Amino acid sequence: MSIFEYNGSAVVAMVGKNCFAIASDRRLGVQLQTIATDFQRISKIHDHLFIGLSGLATDVQTLYQRLVFRHKLYQLREERDMKPETFASLVSAILYEKRFGPFLCQPVIAGLGDDNKPFICTMDSIGAKELAKDFVVSGTASESLYGACEAMFKPDMEAEELFETISQALLSSVDRDCLSGWGGHVYVVTPKEVKERILKGRMD
Amino acid sequence: MKLDTSGLETTMPVIGFGSNSEMLDGFSSAPSFDLPRTTDFDGFQKKAVEMVKPAKGTTTLAFIFKEGVMVAADSRASMGGYISSQSVKKIIEINPYMLGTMAGGAADCQFWHRNLGIKCRLHELANKRRISVSGASKLLANMLYSYRGMGLSVGTMIAGWDETGPGLYYVDNEGGRLKGDRFSVGSGSPYAYGVLDSGYKFDMSVEEASELARRSIYHATFRDGASGGVASVYHVGPQGWTKLSGDDVGELHYHYYPVAPITAEHVMEEAAE
Repeated sequence: MSIFEYNGSAVVAMVGKNCFAIASDRRLGVQLQTIATDFQRISKIHDHLFIGLSGLATDVQTLYQRLVFRHKLYQLREERDMKPETFASLVSAILYEKRFGPFLCQPVIAGLGDDNKPFICTMDSIGAKELAKDFVVSGTASESLYGACEAMFKPDMEAEELFETISQALLSSVDRDCLSGWGGHVYVVTPKEVKERILKGRMD
Repeated sequence: MKLDTSGLETTMPVIGFGSNSEMLDGFSSAPSFDLPRTTDFDGFQKKAVEMVKPAKGTTTLAFIFKEGVMVAADSRASMGGYISSQSVKKIIEINPYMLGTMAGGAADCQFWHRNLGIKCRLHELANKRRISVSGASKLLANMLYSYRGMGLSVGTMIAGWDETGPGLYYVDNEGGRLKGDRFSVGSGSPYAYGVLDSGYKFDMSVEEASELARRSIYHATFRDGASGGVASVYHVGPQGWTKLSGDDVGELHYHYYPVAPITAEHVMEEAAE
């Protein structure tokens, strides 16, 4: 198994009508052994910007801490929150700085931009941005996630329907992956509120 | 093969000792080890370590108790990280009074167990009596030994009831055959052993033993990524084997650890922090 599959992870983000949802699994493992079932993979940068990181868990935590640091500096200087597009460029630059000794993680960025237009993108471990209009996936279960999202996604879903869709896509995909699952964590973000929910999944 | 340490030895004779070189023997030369006869020393070391690592992604267990033999297994088949099936039959019915468990290569286990069933039937016809568990496991072990080194992957337990009572043998692709009364095989076996060993008593009823077996498989599926699906439990008694249960492990988790619904006050507290 490769180093990207050492801890196991699954992250997915989907776009809805003036809202977005980002979801991840909750397992932390060391190859086949499960160590924890409450690992945080999705983190808040500000109220309308979330980043989910898949891959090696230590890099997930370190990269998140660095990004929060950079964003706080930005907030102090600019006296406002970062736009999602700007943040994506920042993440891409930080990842490419380590081109010859990279962070072994793949970020999924989801946010609400100007006029509350949802923005999602994913990157590989050295910062190649991939913008999408519908959904982005990453992690050990990514192939299953692509299939599930492709089948279940519809454009312009409202927040509740989006939650159902992303949850079903996540749970059915991680049920086909030995290294991810053991529950799910979903954030649905609309201009007014952020709803955080824990999913009851198969614990095997 | 000894290491060549001639470069470390000094060519100058030591003053004072002259030709009496016996005093220096053992002190002047560096200690040398016997090394394996191979051109690829590093690769050999790596292979030796790989050999000991468990490669069979599954959890199976069997134990003998007062009322016979309890056999249990999960039902997940994995290819690397991908789950290829959640509904594999890992307990193979060799004949109405003997069971075999599957760990390792699915094709290998299925074929060789079926082959063993054929041999057992031929033995019955030739000798007008059923084969013993000891005999059956020996047939299988000898067969696997003759294919040793060819890449078969079989880690099986043969459980049955014969004239001497309950029998349990562990047989693997290296040709090993062990008689015992508690075994667990597969990548999830350390977790299953933990629960099985702490809860085992010889004097258990069939219900207690089946609950112990089910719980052990459940705990292994929780911790091990390569085990999961359905926990099947079989019992082998004097009249032969019977399937006791096949519970989905996902549901078993919430049966053993029900989720308490969070009340609204709880949520308000967290929001206030």
